[in-house]
Amino acid sequence: MAALPKEIGHEETYLEGGGILGWLTTVDHKRIAILYGVTVLFFFLLGGIEALLMRIQLARPDSHFVSAYVYNELFTMHGTTMIFLVVMPVGLGFFANFIVPLQIGARDVAFPRINALSFWIFLCGGIVLNLGWLGNAAPDAGWFGYANLTERYYSPGLNVDFWSLGLLISGVGSILSGLNFFVTIINMRAPGMTFMRLPLFTWSVLIMFILILVAFPPLTVGLIFLVMDRFFGAHFYDVVAGATPLLWQHLFWLFGHPEVYIMVLPAFGIMSEIVSVFSRKPLFGYPVMAYSTVLIGFLSYGVWAHHMFAVGMGPTADAAFALSSMLIAIPTGIKIFSWIATMWGGELNLKVPMLYALAFIIQFTMGGLSGIMHAQPAIDLQQTDSYFVVAHFHYVLFGGSLFALLGGLYYWWPKVTGRMMSEKLGKWQFWLTVIGFNVTFFPMHLLGAWGMPRRNYTYLPYMGWNRLNMLSTVGAFIIAFAILLLLINMAMSLRDGERASADPWDGRTLEWAIPSPPPEYNFERIPIVHGRDVFWLDKYGTGATTHGRISGGASASDVGVAALEAEPATEIHLPSPSIYPLLIALGMTMAIAGYLLWLRIALTGVFLTVFTVIAMAFEYPAAGAEVHSAIGESTGLDNRKVGIWSFIGSESIFFASLIATYMVYKGRDLVGPTAETILNIPLTSTTTFVLLMSSLTMVLAQDSFRIKSDRWGRRWLLATILLGLVFLGGQVFEFHDFYMRGLSISTNLFGETFYTLVGFHGLHVLIGVIILSCLVGASYFGWFDERRRDMAVEEAALYWHFVDVVWIVIFSLIYLMRAVTKA
Amino acid sequence: MSGSAVGHLEHEIHESRTATYLLVALILTALTAAEVWISYIPALLPVLVPMLLVLSGAKFALVALFYMHLHYDNWVFSGVFVPFLFLAAFVILVLLGLMMRYFSGF
Repeated sequence: MAALPKEIGHEETYLEGGGILGWLTTVDHKRIAILYGVTVLFFFLLGGIEALLMRIQLARPDSHFVSAYVYNELFTMHGTTMIFLVVMPVGLGFFANFIVPLQIGARDVAFPRINALSFWIFLCGGIVLNLGWLGNAAPDAGWFGYANLTERYYSPGLNVDFWSLGLLISGVGSILSGLNFFVTIINMRAPGMTFMRLPLFTWSVLIMFILILVAFPPLTVGLIFLVMDRFFGAHFYDVVAGATPLLWQHLFWLFGHPEVYIMVLPAFGIMSEIVSVFSRKPLFGYPVMAYSTVLIGFLSYGVWAHHMFAVGMGPTADAAFALSSMLIAIPTGIKIFSWIATMWGGELNLKVPMLYALAFIIQFTMGGLSGIMHAQPAIDLQQTDSYFVVAHFHYVLFGGSLFALLGGLYYWWPKVTGRMMSEKLGKWQFWLTVIGFNVTFFPMHLLGAWGMPRRNYTYLPYMGWNRLNMLSTVGAFIIAFAILLLLINMAMSLRDGERASADPWDGRTLEWAIPSPPPEYNFERIPIVHGRDVFWLDKYGTGATTHGRISGGASASDVGVAALEAEPATEIHLPSPSIYPLLIALGMTMAIAGYLLWLRIALTGVFLTVFTVIAMAFEYPAAGAEVHSAIGESTGLDNRKVGIWSFIGSESIFFASLIATYMVYKGRDLVGPTAETILNIPLTSTTTFVLLMSSLTMVLAQDSFRIKSDRWGRRWLLATILLGLVFLGGQVFEFHDFYMRGLSISTNLFGETFYTLVGFHGLHVLIGVIILSCLVGASYFGWFDERRRDMAVEEAALYWHFVDVVWIVIFSLIYLMRAVTKA
Repeated sequence: MSGSAVGHLEHEIHESRTATYLLVALILTALTAAEVWISYIPALLPVLVPMLLVLSGAKFALVALFYMHLHYDNWVFSGVFVPFLFLAAFVILVLLGLMMRYFSGF
């Protein structure tokens, strides 16, 4: 059991001490960022090797360097790796993790142990995704895994199992990160750090994390359906059973297009930081840039079906999604013009990060322009599944996102490591990457226009594609060489690179106000912020616009004298290391993926997860200091309460996806029994009443604890547990009864949607019962201090009531509307 | 304010809230009974969906406002939860609309 939060010596940097165990148990956001960085680098190299093997295969026509089967594995894993294990986690795991707390003036994230848990879950998910390589069974159905190719009948091997389960696992990590950073940015900003003073990078990742919370639940639901189909004989995507594979496409792209912005928004944020610092000017049009970021996030949730124009959704849907897709070009265009306007009249400092920023603007704009072409359904139909599309998204994600991320790596490397990278080697690496990138991907526009389809493992020699394919392969090897130079540069810097000062680029934001590398506690005293670009103002005073020059015309609302004040020095408390995040991640991975090997592994994983989650919840039984630090600086609200509300919000989208599927398939069963013939309304009305009353007992328990009547609090909690168990008992009886009457999960569409939706709700009730039981025990044995107990009860109550309101909806839609034949 | 005065105030709030919670439970029971009842009336089938949506929406709102304390709590919590609810409704409605059009051949 870990000790109370420790006090640390003021001379340590975050990199020192702890040994391997220190890294395995770390909860420091900066160390976790390093763990993400190293893992992502490994996956980046893996994905890069996969790309090179594909390019070797395509360099010549009629090539048999790899088989068609291996080629399928390569393109599937290249896409999956680069998207889920590289570009997204490097943004949210490395950059956001390291930089956001520093930029907002916080000592760590809102939930440090959950931050560590997110990383370990991500790592486990990445390993499961790649396990197939060991048994010649790597995923092979494409990175968006279209149904019904992914059904057991068409993909009988383990390939798709590794893919679906790996993504399910890593998705949990992403959602946890989303919750954590959403709360951190909302609640933990330093005094005075209003939203209109937030650095643009933090703005961008805030929207990215919100997108994660709303975009991942539909993917999770889609993957659950796939797992149900493959393991339990359901037919969510099976046409023969009356279902449609189109459901997968909607659920996947509901996630998939916001995912593009999840990958691009951090890049936008990095760009804004770099362009402003290396132009030595404030960012042009800051408020509009912030609003554009919000607008991009908002619009990105309404454009997903532009990936599905070729499906044939009808003219109305096509027109609506074409319109929304074109609209998103407006806020994106605003950003590009704002970066250019920031550079205009600035003192450009063409260091490596700025070179990447310039290349980003050009290449991303090219990718954006070809994207607008795809937003037009008639043109999209010609380009779908051609190399033109491959060129487009590589210009966006490589020429755009990855270039910005590389620029960000050079920019923040001195802060992360305390050492500078070689500028000379960096410039060589930059130019080789630019040349390699454009030589590789620009020809793909032409190949696509000339009809070369994507994902074909070879082509005939007389198609006219030979030279451009060879050129593209040469470009890929130039990129590989450039990446090798990057690795050499990083290694040389770490070994004997020039020591970095705290502020090597003359930065504008708070992270440059502290030493490089930062101390474990980040800020000795929490800063008080009086203006935007607070560190710049602190260095150059009121009215400073460019380096060394003071202009008198600056707005009084934007600047402040002595911009960087600080709260009085107090004792610094940081959370202690914990082994539980690692153990929970292992347990979850065993529970989800262990089934592939042996059922007992999965069951062991379930027990390990439950045990370690409970153990982590009670890790600090009397940590009064932790309670104090849980109150947000910027809102005065408790992090945990903001966190549980965001969790509930994300869960709403999860249940909405399940409910939508039930309603879509309602009345389309080819065989019975159906809702109308089998549902037992008197029984379910009774259990519904019981669940509603459990909300009453729960809220009475909460009130009793609040007025310090622990005994009554425990009694009401026990009553809630009892009512929850009665509800669950009713559900078990109902499921058993239906099964005996011939309704299994594989019987018809009603069976699979009913059991999945109602079953997941029941699982939530069961988890609630376990949580409440723990609370009763903790209260009885006095494991909580008063404040911590009240907050724990409040969180549990919110979760319980949420489960209740979900049931209110389910009861109406499934049970009471049983006679409504079609939605 | 003295400690005993705070305690007295807390006790009064507790009592008034308990009464509210009981009233909400009563209304939830009545609304559920009404829902079940109208679901058995064949004549109401054409308007069953909107009626049930209104009734379950009212139940949802009562639990969220009073048991989940959105009515009493800081507006930030409503600000976090309500946009998610709108998105959840958006997901249901748009998926339903798109898939219905697909099944009906546009």
